[in-house]
Amino acid sequence: MLTFTNSHLLLGELDYVEPASVDEACALLAEHAGEARLLAGGTDLLVQLKLERAEARCLIGMRRLPELRRITGEDGLVLGAAATIRSIARSALVRGRYAALQEACEAFSTLQVMVMGTVGGNVCNASPAADTVPALLAFDARAGLRGRHGERAVPLDELFVGPGRTVLHADEMLESLRLAPVSAGTGSAFLKLGRVAADIAKVSVAVRLDREGEHIRDCRVALGAVAPTPVRSGEAERALRGQAPSAALVQDAARAAADEIRPITDVRSTAAYRRHAAGVLVQDAIRRAWARAGGREIR
Amino acid sequence: MSRRPMNAIGRSAWRRDGVAKVTGAETYASDVVLPRMWHARVLRSPYAHARIESIDTSGAEALGAVCLTFADVPKVKYNERIVSTPPYLYRDRYVLADKARHVGEAIAAVAAPTEALAERALRALKVEYEVLEPLVEPARAMRPGAEPIHATVRLADAEVPIEGNIAVARTIELGDVGAGFAEAAVVLEREYVTSRIYHAQMETKSVVCRPEPDGGITVWPTTQSIHNTRQLLGEIYGLPLHKVNVKRVAIGGTFGSSIQMNSVIPICVGLALKARRPVKLVTTREEDLYDHVRYQTTIGLRLGVTRDGRLTAGHMRVLADIGGHNIQAYPLLSVMAGWWASLYRLPAMKYEGRAVYTNKTPSCAMQGFGNPQVSFAVESLMDELAEALAMDPIEFKLRNYVGLGGTFWGQGPSVQSIIRSDGAPELLRVGAEKIGWSARPAAGSATGRYRRGVGMARGFHTSSAGAPKPGEVIDYTGALVKINEDGSVDVVHAMMDHGGGTLDAIAKIVAEELGVPADRVGISPVDTRTTVYDVVTHATRGVYAGGAAAQRAARRAKAILLDYATRVLGIEADALVIEPDAALGQGVIHCPAVPDKRITVGALAKLCQTNSWGSIAAVESLRPVHCPPAFVTYFVEVEVDTETGAVTTTRAAIGSDCGTVVNPDLARGQLEGGLSKGAGYALYEDARWDAESGELLSRGFWIDSKVPAMSESPPLAGLETFFATTWEPTGPFGAKGIGEAATNPCAAAYANALANALGIRFRELPITPEKILAALQAAR
Repeated sequence: MLTFTNSHLLLGELDYVEPASVDEACALLAEHAGEARLLAGGTDLLVQLKLERAEARCLIGMRRLPELRRITGEDGLVLGAAATIRSIARSALVRGRYAALQEACEAFSTLQVMVMGTVGGNVCNASPAADTVPALLAFDARAGLRGRHGERAVPLDELFVGPGRTVLHADEMLESLRLAPVSAGTGSAFLKLGRVAADIAKVSVAVRLDREGEHIRDCRVALGAVAPTPVRSGEAERALRGQAPSAALVQDAARAAADEIRPITDVRSTAAYRRHAAGVLVQDAIRRAWARAGGREIR
Repeated sequence: MSRRPMNAIGRSAWRRDGVAKVTGAETYASDVVLPRMWHARVLRSPYAHARIESIDTSGAEALGAVCLTFADVPKVKYNERIVSTPPYLYRDRYVLADKARHVGEAIAAVAAPTEALAERALRALKVEYEVLEPLVEPARAMRPGAEPIHATVRLADAEVPIEGNIAVARTIELGDVGAGFAEAAVVLEREYVTSRIYHAQMETKSVVCRPEPDGGITVWPTTQSIHNTRQLLGEIYGLPLHKVNVKRVAIGGTFGSSIQMNSVIPICVGLALKARRPVKLVTTREEDLYDHVRYQTTIGLRLGVTRDGRLTAGHMRVLADIGGHNIQAYPLLSVMAGWWASLYRLPAMKYEGRAVYTNKTPSCAMQGFGNPQVSFAVESLMDELAEALAMDPIEFKLRNYVGLGGTFWGQGPSVQSIIRSDGAPELLRVGAEKIGWSARPAAGSATGRYRRGVGMARGFHTSSAGAPKPGEVIDYTGALVKINEDGSVDVVHAMMDHGGGTLDAIAKIVAEELGVPADRVGISPVDTRTTVYDVVTHATRGVYAGGAAAQRAARRAKAILLDYATRVLGIEADALVIEPDAALGQGVIHCPAVPDKRITVGALAKLCQTNSWGSIAAVESLRPVHCPPAFVTYFVEVEVDTETGAVTTTRAAIGSDCGTVVNPDLARGQLEGGLSKGAGYALYEDARWDAESGELLSRGFWIDSKVPAMSESPPLAGLETFFATTWEPTGPFGAKGIGEAATNPCAAAYANALANALGIRFRELPITPEKILAALQAAR
C-alpha cells in the first residue's frame, strides 16, 4: 500500500546546531545517539527527511567548518568532506590529473545540485549509484573518519555495507577523502548513462590506468548502479594488469566486469540493459583512459 | 485584407510580465497569503479501486482540524471541464470521492492553522476501505463481468449506465471504405502505442479560497479558465455567480493540466466554507503526479494508396485509456478523428474510437489533445508507405495533404472550416533545405557504431474551436479596451496566459489597432466579476480568438476616440489616422492631407476628461467562426549509439505557419519548447503503472519522472526555427496559433529519424535506449 509522503513538507520538529570544530560535531553526534544527522549540502538529506526515508531530531550544520571544504594536493589529492561537487569539478588540482573525478562531478545532476551537494554527502549517502564514488574508487580513495575515540582511515571499497549503509559509527563523521598520487603515465575516465543528463546513473564506470611503456602497470575498474554498493571489478582489473592493451583484451576485461556485477531491474532500467551497457562503458572508459595516459590507439 | 507596415506586431519585445517572473515578484496561487488563513491537505486513496466503508474524523478534529468528507460535500456530480456543450458533458465525480477509482483519488480533506498540523490531522483520519479488484489495464477493465468503475454517470439531466467500463465510443464513416481499399495498390496496417505521460508543468495545482461576509466566496486558483471555475463552483455550492469571484493569478505552466476546474478547487472551497475562514491548498508534486496525465492510446491504422501515391482509404481504431474519470473522452475521440481527417485527403475513411475507464490517474488534455498521438501514427505510417512506394515522403505527403481550400476539422466533426492560409509547402521546402534532406542516407544504410538519421513529420493544430454554427464545443471570448486619461491603454481580458505570452500578444494587437506605442498598453489584473466571459485558454486559441476580441474592442474604442478628435480638429473621423510616436510615447492622431491638424491620444483623452465628455472605452464579445490550422513541420537529425541505444538530437529544423508572427522571440520559444516536450514524449518520459497495484512505478516521485532539459536539446548551432510567410485572413493582423502545433508531429519525426538511421520502425512510445538496444539485438 502506498504511503503518500511528499517532497514538500518537513514534518518533524528539528534542532539545528552549527559546531565550530569537527570534535564538537562528533560530540554532538554522540550526544544525540543516532538521532542526529550531519547536514552538508542537503541535496539528499532534506529530500529524504521530507519523504520520511530518513529520521532525525537534530541537524548538525557544516557551515562553520571551512576546513572541511578545502581541496589540497599534498601527497595525492585530499578532498575535504564538505567540498562541493562544483568546486571539485573546477579545481586546478583535479583537472587533467584526476580526469575521472572531474568527469564524475560534471555529470552530477544539475548545476543547482552541484553547487550545493558535497563529495562527503555523496559518499555517506551510500547510494549504489553515487556519481563520485566509482571515480574515487579508481584513485584508491581512503576515507578519513573521525569520532569521539579518534581517527581512522578506511579504504573506500570497505566503507559501504549496502544501499544507504556504511561502516561509520554513530559518533563518527567523514572528514576527508585522500586519493592516491598519480604519475605522468596515469590516465582515467568516467562515463555514465542516465535517462537524461540530470539523472541518477543507470550505470556508471570509472577506469584508471597506469601506463608503463606499452603495458598497463596497474589499473582500477569501478562501477556504479550495478550492485548493492559501488563496486570494483577485480576480474577486469586482473585481466588488464600487466598487459599491453588490444581490442581483444579490452573486450575480455569488459566481459569480466559485466559478468561480475549484480545489476537489478528498477524504474530506471533493466538488469539486462545494465549488464550490457556496463560492458560497453568499461570498454569506452579503458580506451579513453589509455589515450589520456599517453598510450597508442588500441587496435 | 490590407497588410500595412506594422509597429508593434512582428517585433521582439520584452514581455510585460517578464521582470516579475524572473525576479520572483509574480504572484501565483501559492503566493497568496490572507489574514486568518488556514492550510489544507488532502487524504488520497492508497488503493486503485476500493469502496470507502467509513471515515473517522475524531482524531483529526481533536487536533483542532476542520475535516471534509463525502458526507459534507454537495451531492452534485460534475465534470471539471465545461468546454463541451451540455449534451456531450459526461459528469462522473463529486467534490470528494464516493469510491476510490485510482491511487491518489481525493477521499477526505482537512484544514488547520499550519500545513504541518494539517498533515498530522490527515494522518489521524481513519478510513476503512473495502478493496476491489484493481482494473489497471484496459483489457481487464473491459473483460465481461468486471466490476464497473462507474455504474452510471450523469449526462444532461439523466443518469446513464456504463457498460463494460466503456466510458464512451464514437464511430465516424465517410465514403465507401471497402471500395477505397480495393482500389489501393499498397495497403499497410500497423499498431501504435502511446504513453500516458505527466504534464510536468512547473506549478503544482494550488488554490486559496476566502468566504465572504455576504455568503459568497473569492477564489485564487491555478486554472486555465477563471469563468468556468466560477460557473462550476456556483453550480456545486448553489451560489449565484455574482457571489463567486475568481481571481486571475499567474499560472506556472500548464500544458493542459488545468484546462478543467482542478479537483482541489472545490475541496478547498468546501473546507473554507466549513471553517469559515480563508483556506489555502497547495498540492505536492507527488499528489500532482497522481492527478493528471496525457491520454494513453493504442491506435490501429490501416491506409491504402495507389501506385502513384494517392491515398484511397483509411481505417483507424483508437482505444483510449482514460483512467478513473471521464474528463473529456468524448471530445478526445472526436478530435482524434478530426486530426486524422485533416492531415491527408481520404476519399473513404472509417474511424472507431473507444474510451475505457481504468483504475489509474485520470487523463486530461495535454498540449495537442490527441494530436501528438494521431500524428505519431499517421506520420509514421505515411513515412512507411512512401518507402513502400519508393517515393520521397515530402512529395508523397504534398500529394495528399489537406491544404488551401480544403476542409479542416478544428475540434472534431462539428467544428470545421475552409483553409484560407497554407504555409505547409513552404515549411517543407525550407525545412528540407535547412536539414539537408536530399543528402540524408537511405534508410538503414548507415554502418558503424554511431549512426545518424534524418526524419520528417508534419502536422498542425487548430487555432480555436471556432465554427460557423454551434456544435459540441463552446468557444467565445471578449474584451474591454479602455483608453486612459494620458493616452495609455488598459486591456481587461479574462483569458489566461499559460506562460507563452498570450496576454502580451493581445496587448500588442491592441497597440497595433489603436496606433499607440506597445509599451503604453497594459494588461489589467482581472477577476470574473470585472470581465466578460472567456471559455478557457486551450485549442491554441489565445492569440487567434482572444486577440481578435481585443482587436474588435480596440477598433470600437478607436472610433469613439476619433469622434472626439473630429470635435477638436475639425477633420472627418474617416480621414484621421493614429500612429505611434516613440519619442513622445504617444499615439498621434493626424490627417496626412492636413499636416497642421494633429493631437496626441493623451492630449485628446485629457480633453475628454477635463471637458467631461466621457470615457473612451468599449467592450466586445467575439465568437470565432473559423478554426484555421497552424501548420508545423519537424525535421530532426538523431545520432544513435548502437552499443548503448542512446539517442542524441544533433540537429532540428522546426517550421511554423502561425500566420503573422506577433513576437518572433516568443514564437521561437514556443517551437523550442515544443521540441523539448515532443522529445520527452518520443524518447524519455516513461510513466509506467504497476499492473497489479495501480501505482506509478515512480511512486509519484519527481526524481523518477524524468523529463528532458537543456542538456537533451540539440546544440544551439544545430537548432533552427523558422516561419512561413503567410497571412491568415480571419485572424487578428493575419495571425493564427502556434502553442500546441509546436509539439504535435515531434514524436513522429523522431520515429522516422530512427527508422532512417537504423532501418528499424518503432511504434511504441517512448523509444528508450532499452527498446532500441533490444531491437538492434533482435535485428542482428
